[in-house]
Amino acid sequence: MSDAFWQSVDLSTFWEYRQVLLAGLWFNVYVFACSATVALAVGLAAALLRVNRSWPFRWIGTVHVELFRNAPDYIMVVWVHFVLPLLLGALIGRRLEIHPFVSAVIALGFVYSGYFAETFRAGIQAIPVGHVEAARACGMADRLILRRIILPQVVRRMLPEAVNQFVSLFKATTIVSLIAVPDLMYQVSMVIATEMRPLPLYTGAALTYFAVIYFVATGVRLLSERWRNKIYA
Amino acid sequence: MDVMPAIRVVDLRKNFGALEVLKGVSFDVHTGSVVSMIGASGSGKSTLLRCINFLETPSSGDIFIDGEPMGFRSDASGQRRLRPLSEVNLMRRELGMVFQQFNLWPHMTVLGNVIEAPIRVRGMSRKQAVALGEECLARVHLSEKAREYPARLSGGQQQRVAIARALAIQPKAMLFDEPTSSLDPELTDEVLSVMRELAGDGTTMIVVTHEMAFAREVSDRVLFLHNGLIEEEGPPEQVLGAPKSERCRQFLSKYLH
Ligand SMILES: Nc1ncnc2c1ncn2[C@@H]1O[C@H](COP(=O)(O)OP(=O)(O)O)[C@@H](O)[C@H]1O
Ligand SMILES: [Mg+2]
Repeated sequence: MSDAFWQSVDLSTFWEYRQVLLAGLWFNVYVFACSATVALAVGLAAALLRVNRSWPFRWIGTVHVELFRNAPDYIMVVWVHFVLPLLLGALIGRRLEIHPFVSAVIALGFVYSGYFAETFRAGIQAIPVGHVEAARACGMADRLILRRIILPQVVRRMLPEAVNQFVSLFKATTIVSLIAVPDLMYQVSMVIATEMRPLPLYTGAALTYFAVIYFVATGVRLLSERWRNKIYA
Repeated sequence: MDVMPAIRVVDLRKNFGALEVLKGVSFDVHTGSVVSMIGASGSGKSTLLRCINFLETPSSGDIFIDGEPMGFRSDASGQRRLRPLSEVNLMRRELGMVFQQFNLWPHMTVLGNVIEAPIRVRGMSRKQAVALGEECLARVHLSEKAREYPARLSGGQQQRVAIARALAIQPKAMLFDEPTSSLDPELTDEVLSVMRELAGDGTTMIVVTHEMAFAREVSDRVLFLHNGLIEEEGPPEQVLGAPKSERCRQFLSKYLH
């Protein structure tokens, strides 16, 4: 094997900078957690619009889903960070700036809200209408039915698909270095700038992301299966 | 003035678009009595039961539960107005409904299904609700299944849980919509015998059923519904034994083996 090969897998530099790199990885986790929260909340709202009885609501929900599901996350991050403040600023007649972290959370949260809306919608529509009628017949109000009868079942049904979407979202957090959110990739670029040894650092970053995603996702899948099996025995 | 019936239905009409399903149905169900409703598929039996607890909004007519108007109310000027949903929900807990497809909530245990409405709708404490829930499960002979999930039960057991769930809201009357129609024949008896016991305890019930022997045994009155109208009504010996209406006779002949 050539020297170039061994250099590209030599992780000693990566290990040397572990503290600053780990701090970067935490930023991926923060961005992930915040944008996942936004995506779930907005996605649920969009899904409820899409199953609404009146068509204007359904129409708004559909536009939301198609708009964000078809927007590349890369473009959205850049657009929210650089274009959105200009547009909003022009509206209120003041210079505006959005903190990179906030831009990242808004962009990724809204893009993924499109996917989660569809997962929620499919889950809601899969619930037999009889479950809701039985609850109505017991005198339960719609909000209570949503919270106690529909959502708990939807969450169990959508978990496998949701785990896949969470994985995609976590991967997508690696692009926030574009707008200078100090995540792992950003820190890697900083270290490369001083050490001038990009190959092993990229290898280290790739392995780190892989390990985190693989172990967390596998654990969550196992737990959620056990939880689901109790009900759909 | 005579005693107020538990359920009074007056000139009830319901259409789905151009389709007229109920064409003016009136009857009383007295407290403690059992009314069976029979009729061909599509004659409007389910729609009638569903209108009584406002799962369907009637197109016109009145429903009174213990004298209280359900769903509609006359305002000061005498105009009929739809009641707000919150009031309909309050009234709905006076009626326990049992569906053909048991409709248990699969993510809750048997006991969880039974105590849900007492806690969330009646505002009972968990402890009170559990005591009530266990009592209701005992009435359907399923005390030992309290901690199971519905998916683990047979159809007959699931339907008995559904009956316990309806009893647990402590309704003034029970509405059964073909409770044994989706069960295998060997499982219908356990459900019918629970219903027989309820009737014996003086539970007010409306039962839509094709189980003629059961209807004959437990009913105080039988209604034969045809094309959205009550074609014949009376005590079971008359309606099931010697019907005056030709249509009722034809319908019943299909159930004599
Ligand atoms: N939600 C609905 N929309 C349109 N038509 C309906 C609806 N529910 C029932 N119907 C029609 O009303 C008629 C009576 O139905 P139903 O009350 O279910 O009869 P039964 O319970 O006696 O079999 C049928 O023709 C049925 O197709
Ligand atoms: Mg029916």
